[in-house]
Amino acid sequence: MRVLLIEDDTLLGDAIRDQVTADGHAVDWVTRLGDARDHVAVASYDLILLDLMLPDGRGLDYLRARRAAGDVSPVIILTARDQISDRIAGLNAGADDYLVKPFDLEELSARLRAVARRYGGNPNPLLVIGNLQIDLAARTITPAGTRDARPILLTAREWALFEAFIQHPGALLSKSQLEDRLYAFGAEVESNTIEVYVSRLRKKLGSGVISTERGLGYRLGSV
Amino acid sequence: MNLRPRNSLQARLSRSIAVGVTILWLAATLGTVLSLRHEMDEVFDSALQELAQRVLPLAYQEVLNRDTPGNDNRAAPVGEHDETLIYIVRDDRGTVLLRSHDADPAVFPDALLTGFQTTNQFRFYTVSAISDTLYVTAADPLAHRRAAIKQATRTMLWPLALLLPLSLLGVWLTVRLTLRPVVAFRDEIGARGLGNLAPVDGAALPEEISPLADAVNTLIARLRRALDAERGFTASSAHELRTPIAAALAQTQRLVAELPPGAILTRAQGIETGLKRLARLSSKLLELAKAEGAGLISETAQDLVPVFALVVADFNAGSRLWITIPPDPVLSVIDTDAFAVLARNLIENALTHGAEDEPVSAVLTDDRILIVTNGGPALDQATLNRLRKPFERASLAPGTGLGLGIAEAIAKGCGATFDLISPVQGQIDGFQVRVRLPDIAKNP
Repeated sequence: MRVLLIEDDTLLGDAIRDQVTADGHAVDWVTRLGDARDHVAVASYDLILLDLMLPDGRGLDYLRARRAAGDVSPVIILTARDQISDRIAGLNAGADDYLVKPFDLEELSARLRAVARRYGGNPNPLLVIGNLQIDLAARTITPAGTRDARPILLTAREWALFEAFIQHPGALLSKSQLEDRLYAFGAEVESNTIEVYVSRLRKKLGSGVISTERGLGYRLGSV
Repeated sequence: MNLRPRNSLQARLSRSIAVGVTILWLAATLGTVLSLRHEMDEVFDSALQELAQRVLPLAYQEVLNRDTPGNDNRAAPVGEHDETLIYIVRDDRGTVLLRSHDADPAVFPDALLTGFQTTNQFRFYTVSAISDTLYVTAADPLAHRRAAIKQATRTMLWPLALLLPLSLLGVWLTVRLTLRPVVAFRDEIGARGLGNLAPVDGAALPEEISPLADAVNTLIARLRRALDAERGFTASSAHELRTPIAAALAQTQRLVAELPPGAILTRAQGIETGLKRLARLSSKLLELAKAEGAGLISETAQDLVPVFALVVADFNAGSRLWITIPPDPVLSVIDTDAFAVLARNLIENALTHGAEDEPVSAVLTDDRILIVTNGGPALDQATLNRLRKPFERASLAPGTGLGLGIAEAIAKGCGATFDLISPVQGQIDGFQVRVRLPDIAKNP
């Protein structure tokens, strides 16, 4: 996923960015709402992590404005305001989840996955694709129907790429779309990075897991 | 809030004016009676004088025309009647020469003095003639005069007896109508809940009392500013305190995630545990600050059901937490944030200190009772009393020891009842907290 993090506290923002990146997502981190607007104007984000008290405005007003403009991308509010009325106001403004500081980074990762699943059209964390049993919440893949099967381990980047295909089953995803999901602005991306990760996924999950549409992109195949 | 007047201004004004009017009426009546008596005395005296002066020439003629001089001749009555005015004709030696037919010479004074004289029973007027050899004394019984005055007074008092209650009724109605804006003002203040900080309407109040409404509104505005400042401070201090803790915890967790196994990782994990404890304790202290603040009552009753649902949704207790949420709204004037803190602390307390192999039940009833029950051994009264104090725990389970104290402070602050029960009714063990939430604002 490509995630926009709006957080003005540099220590906290730095740790959140590292955590979300370690989960295999691409993160763009801004500290002001003005910068967030600039980013949203030029890139498409799968999820926004939004602090409420920012130097140039209130996160809640920004969220309301986005929803009023018809934007439906998921938003998780990260805030030190723990009052239930603040939380209700946040959810009423269109937030998908609300995390009160200080929070556990693992909790943030879990919420992020849950929101992503909800928007991927499949809130159930357990999926079966071909002979693979996939637990999106636990981020594990097990070969189905095999006794004492060991889970197949994926790196964060491999998982992020595979998740992109799971969230859009049957859809054709271009190379640049996949790069956007994996890398933040300014990250150096080798020209054959996507091919390398697709190759690794095929090796671990089966050659038919991702099919190539030559010159166009990739789509989830059959295993 | 009980603003019922112990000493009603309306009653005091009505009483004072009624007493004043009554005294005024009675004084006016007394003055009239005295004046009437004076005037009647003048009339009676004039009649007495007229009688004596008229009788004198007639008596003189009568005495001269007598064939044989004699004493005490009575004038024959012209017809049967009660004689009110009597007279007597005497010579200079006091010998009665003539008298009216009912006149008793014994009641007349012996001294022959001209002019008016008064005894206990009669008023006399004496006139003389023929070089003071013939005296005519007319007498009027004072009882007659008194009866006349009494009759006149009675005649005046009867209409007064009717008029006075009417006047008092008029006074009462006037006072009531005049004080109607004041009574409406009192009722408005009396009827409003403690949390209602809207300005009172003093537009219809009389000039003498309108400064009171201004003062009340000024006080309400100051109270609102103080409450807003308190809420703002709580929110700001929460932000200022939580953000650096969140940053430190997040950085430490990243460190833990990135460090290879070893002593440094163990140390980093120790810091993480300490930071989590600090986060919990700071959170509880902020909640305690709110619990002991003044913003525990909202201006209007609000539905607690969605708040309760959000609070219980935060607990990842799985099947251990049994929840009962009523289908219909449960309205209470407790501040929703305060209720959330109250419910969260009670459930946390039950999950932390209750028997791990027994469920925790959190019930919000439709008659505004929050009941949180957990398993565990029965606690004696001394332990229950000790649990109400901050930093006290009944078990060795980890916890800040502030949960019940925060919950009780909120309950007291908003006028709710707060009962700790152990063993649970119908059981031999268990622990239960029952909070009956206020429907309307009450003095805590």
